[in-house]
Amino acid sequence: MGETAAKLGLARRGGDFLRNVLGPFLALVVVVSIFWIADSMQADGGRFATLRNAQNILVQSATVGVAALGMTLIIISGGIDLSAGTAMALSATSLAWFLREQYSPAVSVAAGIAVGCLCGCANGMLISLLRIVPFIVTLGTMTIYLGLAKIVGDNTMVRPLPDQVPLWMKQLLSPRVEYEWMVFAPGVWLLLVMALVTAAVLRYTVFGRYVFAVGSNEATARLCGINVPLVRIAVYTISGFFVGVAGLYQFTRLTVGDPTSGTGKELPIIAAVVIGGGSLSGGRGSILGTLTGALIMQVISSGCTSLRLPNPIQEIIIGCIIIAAVTIDQFRQRRQAV
Amino acid sequence: MQRGAALFLALAMLVLVVGCGSATSDSKTGEAKNGFHIAVIPKGTTHVFWKSVHAGALKAAEEFKAAGTPVEIQWKGALLENDREGQINVVADFVAQGVDGIVIAPLDSTALVPSIRDAKDAGIPTVIFDSGLADESVIESYVATDNYNGGALAAREIGKRLGGKGDVILLRYNVGSESTEQREQGFLDTIKKEFPEIVMLSDDQYSGTTAISAQNKALELLNQFGDKVDGFFAVCEPDTVGVLSALEQEGLAGKVVFVGFDPSPHLIEAMREKKVHGLVLQDPVAMGYLGVKAVVERLQGKTVEKRISTGEALATPESVDSPKMQKLLNPEQAN
Repeated sequence: MGETAAKLGLARRGGDFLRNVLGPFLALVVVVSIFWIADSMQADGGRFATLRNAQNILVQSATVGVAALGMTLIIISGGIDLSAGTAMALSATSLAWFLREQYSPAVSVAAGIAVGCLCGCANGMLISLLRIVPFIVTLGTMTIYLGLAKIVGDNTMVRPLPDQVPLWMKQLLSPRVEYEWMVFAPGVWLLLVMALVTAAVLRYTVFGRYVFAVGSNEATARLCGINVPLVRIAVYTISGFFVGVAGLYQFTRLTVGDPTSGTGKELPIIAAVVIGGGSLSGGRGSILGTLTGALIMQVISSGCTSLRLPNPIQEIIIGCIIIAAVTIDQFRQRRQAV
Repeated sequence: MQRGAALFLALAMLVLVVGCGSATSDSKTGEAKNGFHIAVIPKGTTHVFWKSVHAGALKAAEEFKAAGTPVEIQWKGALLENDREGQINVVADFVAQGVDGIVIAPLDSTALVPSIRDAKDAGIPTVIFDSGLADESVIESYVATDNYNGGALAAREIGKRLGGKGDVILLRYNVGSESTEQREQGFLDTIKKEFPEIVMLSDDQYSGTTAISAQNKALELLNQFGDKVDGFFAVCEPDTVGVLSALEQEGLAGKVVFVGFDPSPHLIEAMREKKVHGLVLQDPVAMGYLGVKAVVERLQGKTVEKRISTGEALATPESVDSPKMQKLLNPEQAN
């Protein structure tokens, strides 16, 4: 029975490839070009298009990028997760707590990621069992996770001693690479691997087709025999895993656990998916698009610094890009309806 | 077609904004070509304290310009307040961009160390202000209030008003906050040394980070010691606000000699009503001014002090309306 819905989704995806993936990618190329040209016109410019800056931008967008992988799944399935930011901080704070309490790095990392999975699983269960819309549930868990993180951190930072943080963690997202042959930080490569796996799961597995089916039309998906609540819980739990990894990423950059470090971070995560062609009404989105979206935001942010544009202008530009991306999405939908 | 139009429109907007921005900055960079491009990074961008720091930084730039060294100040904090990762990103962006020097108020004493070390490795000197850093080998100088002396000023005011004897409470701020620990130490040392007859009723309680938690803690202490309390010292603004509410609630405001740290309009009003007998004031304008000055002098090859004090003053109900105190209570601000 699930096959029918899956076939429907598959047929659509082929045609969407150009629009979903090339669209955002083209936008990234254009945004980079604009800043490149503007920067080289500056009297002391010319540093924007350097390897150093590319390393810098990739490292800075990695944390949002990882969390946005999970958000892509959620948004494709027709959901949303407003708690992604605070859940990430909860994971990072827990990780820091385990390190400080003398647990080995491996155990601490596993615990941090497990906390992320639990957060996601809780979201999925609440949405499925209480039948409340994801927006409301995650609005609630957003502050619950913030509160939990503050309890873990005892209302302040969790500071493991410098020698309790292993070297590989410090190097995971260092903009200056330890081994030159790697070119980019290990965390960037890890993100790429996770992205490829997620994209493959979405594209080639039955589960991936279910995710699209649930997001495209939940009622049809249910009639086709898909266990919608189960798919949903799975999607949120997987997303929780990515949120946990994002917590690890954030911790390696801060080397302290800050319970409030995720506040407001859900917005760039959601924005990355939306700019990358994800549709908030579900059924559409792509991993490559999402990564591109995260990069576009960071390029704008770094570009604004090198062009000496103040923060308010930067905020306005990012806002315009988000609205433009959604406008494009709407045109796409209308066209499909015809 | 429509989609193309929307994309085009969005990008046209971007070009417009970026174009305008770089056009205005071009004139600035033209000036600074033979001078220095200094990044100043506050902890937040909306609080008035940082606007005063900004005003000080611009003042230093103007003085250097008048002396023949054009200095361009690029003022940029993280988009979100208190966002450590955001501040790390801002530093990394400035290092990639290749500014000449960085002046920063680190949001975290350890989290910012690697990125400031990156700046040092790239040949960019950094001066920190307002808050300390765990590893001072990566910085040229630390510009801040002498918090130890601020605590000493408070101790002398309480000692003087109590005539050298009485029972005093010190309410600490938070575990691990370097600046307030200095204040507490300065206060305790001075009381011990200069006012041997003053007894510390309590000096090991922490207020927590909000005015509410400070108020609760102060109420506990007042309940415990009641009328025995002659003097009270609170070590920062939320602490001071909380203690004041507790004193008011217990009907002790004005009866207990109370000295706090950092002003707010509410506290200044209370000082005029003689419920607060002293407020230690910091000088944010001097922080911005001396921070920029230190980093530029370092770039000019001069030696700079590892620690630069911005000076601190004590406002009392008698001196609060004097021109000097008014200047510190209402510091200039950049737009």
